[in-house]
Amino acid sequence: MPFMEKIRGCRSLSIVGLEKNTGKTVSLNYVLGRLAEMGISTAVTSIGVDGEQTDSVYATAKPEVRLYEGMRFITSERHYRMRRLVSEIEWIDKRRTALGRLVTARVLSGGMALLSGAAATGILREQIEEQKRDGVELTVVDGALSRLSLASPTVTDAMILATGAAVSPNLQQLVSKTRFVVRMIGLDEVTEKERETLSGVGNGLWALDGEGVAHDLGVRSVFMLSGANNDLYRYGTRLFASGAVSDRLLKMLAAKEEVKETTLIVRDFTKLFITPEVYADYTKRGGELKVLQRSRLIALTLNPTSPHGYAVDSEKACGALEEALGMPVYDVRRENCMKRP
Amino acid sequence: MVLRDKITGDAGLQYVVEATGVISAAGRRALLDTPLMTKSEDIEEELERVARVKEKMEVISNLRTFNEIRHSLMCLHDSQGTLANLERRTVIDELELYEMKNLAYATMEVTRHGKSLGLEKEFELPEVSDVFELLDPDHTGLPNFYIYDTYHEELPELRKKMKALQARGDDPAAQEEYGRCFDRHSEIQHEVENRLSEQLWGRAERLKLAMATLCHIDILIAKAELASDWGLTKPTMVTEGATRYEELFNPRLKHRNEEQRLRYQPVTIDVREGLCLVTGANMAGKTVLLKTLATAQALAQFAYFVPAKKAEVRVMEDIVLCIGDEQNEMNGLSSFASEIINISETVKRSEKERLLILIDEPARTTNPVEGKAIVQSLGDILSRRESFSIITTHYSELGTDCRRLRIAGFREDMANVPISPRNINQFMDYSVVEDSSETVPHEALRIATLLGCDGNLLELAEEHIKETL
Repeated sequence: MPFMEKIRGCRSLSIVGLEKNTGKTVSLNYVLGRLAEMGISTAVTSIGVDGEQTDSVYATAKPEVRLYEGMRFITSERHYRMRRLVSEIEWIDKRRTALGRLVTARVLSGGMALLSGAAATGILREQIEEQKRDGVELTVVDGALSRLSLASPTVTDAMILATGAAVSPNLQQLVSKTRFVVRMIGLDEVTEKERETLSGVGNGLWALDGEGVAHDLGVRSVFMLSGANNDLYRYGTRLFASGAVSDRLLKMLAAKEEVKETTLIVRDFTKLFITPEVYADYTKRGGELKVLQRSRLIALTLNPTSPHGYAVDSEKACGALEEALGMPVYDVRRENCMKRP
Repeated sequence: MVLRDKITGDAGLQYVVEATGVISAAGRRALLDTPLMTKSEDIEEELERVARVKEKMEVISNLRTFNEIRHSLMCLHDSQGTLANLERRTVIDELELYEMKNLAYATMEVTRHGKSLGLEKEFELPEVSDVFELLDPDHTGLPNFYIYDTYHEELPELRKKMKALQARGDDPAAQEEYGRCFDRHSEIQHEVENRLSEQLWGRAERLKLAMATLCHIDILIAKAELASDWGLTKPTMVTEGATRYEELFNPRLKHRNEEQRLRYQPVTIDVREGLCLVTGANMAGKTVLLKTLATAQALAQFAYFVPAKKAEVRVMEDIVLCIGDEQNEMNGLSSFASEIINISETVKRSEKERLLILIDEPARTTNPVEGKAIVQSLGDILSRRESFSIITTHYSELGTDCRRLRIAGFREDMANVPISPRNINQFMDYSVVEDSSETVPHEALRIATLLGCDGNLLELAEEHIKETL
């Protein structure tokens, strides 16, 4: 896939699925295979060992990842013992996960392994830094379930998003759901100066005045906002929400007279927990949504089959998505799709 | 009584322990499990080790070596479980073998660095190079580990074959063959794990000693560093006579004052056998004095340097600090009840043990007639015991035959700016002086006035005093 070239130069890459069973692991395996061919020194880790995956019954149900000679990988003690490859233990971390401590090892002879990692993005960020220090060119992070948080630009440099029939068996819905997430990922960034001002501010809701100075609006969490709050605009119409943003805030802003001039700024798309309908209403009324930092979406991959037996027509789905998103979409299971220009 | 239990009742001690930069998790646990030492030779010996490490640490050219040691300690795994498995003679797997190799590696590294520092005696680690060699058959010299080809004659060939099969990708025949090879590979791995475990069983004790010694070294370095950073002093442990401190300070308060750029006044005091009554105005620092004495005593007996310019410390069997804020609604006891139970237990213990007993204003929460009687009788008993007791009190004319100390207290002559509740501490003279009088200072109303207390209340109080006179 041509997107592989874009990966060069990234220090970290996350592979996240829009839903479970969207072919994330297939995408990951493809990427790892190509990285091995390209001779990029790679470390592979993952985030989260969620409930069902920690279950001994399901522990093996998680698809294995193919790792190649020379790659470094990080996984839990339990999954390390289950690996089907030859590797040398380099380090055992003191931090514990539900499946034991995290083992860092180097692959001596390629094969399959299960990946499991720490649940907190903070630890992941540290791991990525540690790998960089050790001279690893690229750290690839396998995302667990439908967690998007690791795709935050504050954690990984770039991301690959996996979508598929598991999101919805209905092609139209699949396209519209995927389009919405891609749109959020691609939200406009604020100016360099605004980013500098806002990255350091504390929790709650803030406003930027005409001079570009940030003012605390005294609202500790946007979830605590009540309809009676009429003075949100006392410093201007550029608002910054430091934490998560839900439909509630967008709805409230959409109902204000000043919505036409409003720009709501969030840290990055992973802080948004909003529905397409509410977003559409907010923008229709003239409201704007921006991010401090945009995530770099390297590629979108599609799994045309869902675990429930549904399937969408791969070619039709890729085509429809490409048209709607204006970017190439790859069916990672299909050879011909991979060779698309 | 171990350090872990002592810090729950002594916030000052806890402050010191938290600041002790022990690096490894196992070292931290070992520190908290340190028993209160009651033999002066043991304490002296351990303090001497800390002193030697401190001396070496203060030589700039040694900093690098100490950092190397710290790095080794940082990489140390908490291998309690694995060591227990070896002792029980069970087979350990490759992750545990890695841990043992890592332990042997750290041991050798620290031994080497200890030698170069001239601390062979202080850092006396067992010889474990045989363990490292066993787990490093390819002589890589690194702490990494896997089941090396060298361990089994079949392995090199088998692994070569597996690699070739992997290269054939998803070819089902190759996959099937790979599966068979991998099963054999697992069998061999178990065989090797078995063999290596057996060879390690006999070395378990040495490895355990290495682990414990590394923890000890971690603690020694942390104590030495703290002593250096905070200006602590090696106490002399004495077996007779009094405990004497020159310029004793409370680390927590001193640091807080430094942060707020406030003056801190250390005190010079000696604590003797029998009873000593301490009086002093409100805010004169009586409670702090008791807390500081408790912390310093505990530090010395956990082989820490102490916060003073000079210290001679008499070893005690235990330290009892009774501040009287132990009120516990949860067990249904009032502050008076908790206090009197504590005091009674202490009195009983003092029959058989030599304790450092520090009681802050006993019986202050009950009526003055009975309260005073309780303090008098407590004084009578403690003055005849071997224990070193200090009681602070506001009661006058107790009639007890004992030593008396007074904290100098408020000095209006030191005040060159208007006094307020915020700065009043700056005009206190915290020095301790011998006192022959039976009466206690009557400064409560004066202090209350300076603190801006309600005028009406003060006037009425003055009138009441006149009435009683």
